[in-house]
Amino acid sequence: MDESTKKGSVTSLASLFPVEEAQRAAKRVEDTIADKQSELDRLRGFATDNNSLINLVHKLPEQLSHDIMVPFGKAAFFPGRLIHTNEFLVLLGEGYYAERTSKQTVEILQRRGKSLDSQVDSLEANIKDLEAEASFFNATASQVAEGLVEIREDYLEKDSNEGEFKSGHLQQEAPNLGNATADDGEYARMLAIMDELEKEELAAESGNHSDQNDESTGDFHDISYREHIDNKLQNSKDVHQSELLDQINNKIITADLPKKQNRKEDITDQLNFASLAVESRVKERENFVEYIDPSEKIPARSKERSVQATTASKTEVRHQTSQPSFDSRKAFTGSIIEHAENIKPTTRQQSSASSQDSGSQSSKPVSRFKMQRR
Amino acid sequence: MDSLRQEKVQRFEEFVDKRLKPDLVHAIAQRDKVFEQQKIFTDLRKNIENLEKNSVTSLRTLVNIGSEVYLQAEVPDTQHIFVDVGFGFHVEFTWSEALNYIDKREEKIARQIEEYTQLIASIKAQIKLVCEGIRELLQLPAEKSLPERIF
Repeated sequence: MDESTKKGSVTSLASLFPVEEAQRAAKRVEDTIADKQSELDRLRGFATDNNSLINLVHKLPEQLSHDIMVPFGKAAFFPGRLIHTNEFLVLLGEGYYAERTSKQTVEILQRRGKSLDSQVDSLEANIKDLEAEASFFNATASQVAEGLVEIREDYLEKDSNEGEFKSGHLQQEAPNLGNATADDGEYARMLAIMDELEKEELAAESGNHSDQNDESTGDFHDISYREHIDNKLQNSKDVHQSELLDQINNKIITADLPKKQNRKEDITDQLNFASLAVESRVKERENFVEYIDPSEKIPARSKERSVQATTASKTEVRHQTSQPSFDSRKAFTGSIIEHAENIKPTTRQQSSASSQDSGSQSSKPVSRFKMQRR
Repeated sequence: MDSLRQEKVQRFEEFVDKRLKPDLVHAIAQRDKVFEQQKIFTDLRKNIENLEKNSVTSLRTLVNIGSEVYLQAEVPDTQHIFVDVGFGFHVEFTWSEALNYIDKREEKIARQIEEYTQLIASIKAQIKLVCEGIRELLQLPAEKSLPERIF
């Protein structure tokens, strides 16, 4: 790969962020923190004042009058007493006052206290952020002092609209991909699930062929599924690489599971057909070049790590709709209905078991994979 | 020679920046406080004179009990007024006594203001003097239109 010679650059961190500047930045942030801290103290003072005032307002109506020194200007007092102890005049803002009872005043004050609390909270969060920033600056300063260098390597983005697939690119990208997304524990778990499903498929296929009486359409579409997948596989030329891709694809989906549990059906489906495809590679290569697009996009998305199961299913839709020769859309809508009807809060570990349950409950057309595992 | 002069200039500048200017700021802040006191006492005198003129014997007013929450208060007898005489002490006066005291107090406050004004002026003069000294050290021509410092 001749690209490896020119890609990547090494810059010393000191040239980007001189030590003094990093330190100055840290100092500035610390100053801001000090400012915010004093403001926080002020707000806290308001909050405590407010609380004591609430107590006072609570207590005042207990007696008809209270002997007090009535302030007269700022430097003088008259001896006097508070009267009408259940009538408060509360400033609403902008010079508007409202006459309230003790209880109503307490409510107003409590609302004020709440807004003060939220201000305090936001300020605290702000300070926390600033502290993180300051520690970052300090870390940078110390790293610069140590003479750290920054190695930068350009990510070669493939044009997904190109339509042409270069296997060389994939071979180059896929290992990176594996590294980038390799959360080892999750990966291992995912592989285990894959193996399990594969075994299940095998057992079901050998045993349950008689079950497939009116599932012929489903079968048919499954073949189309397989073809798509296999096209991906064939085009990538490296079976292992594509397997990895598929796995990663599945992994992306499963990784999203906790958030989108109601998508579990979708995911188990995908797992199924993906594993099937890997297991039985039909060597058919026709002019499905465009179907490569989704599979090409997947690496890019996995880099982002924000892939949603919905987008995954969208690519599936594209597989289906762009090939009208098979009546695959029908089968797909069937599976969608299945998904919508069997929303169950299940965790990833339970997903295979619960998919069996839901398969048996469903009266809608079921995909072959579900049927087999019943 | 040159470096010596440079050092001297720097020391003078430091004196201006770290000693004289903070002093000036402090003195001005002090004087502002005294101005505030003066205002309080003139207000009080006006109020008492008003009460006298209208011969008010009882008073109803609103008391701020904090956070702009007001409560009605009643003063049954306005003859006796407690005036702050400093250090947290309040002395019970009749109106005439209070007015007497306020006069004396105002006199004192005026004196204080005068003192602080003098102090501020002298600090400003010192600053100017040191600046002139720096100018001489640098042997700059005594400009007629020397940029005036605005304090």
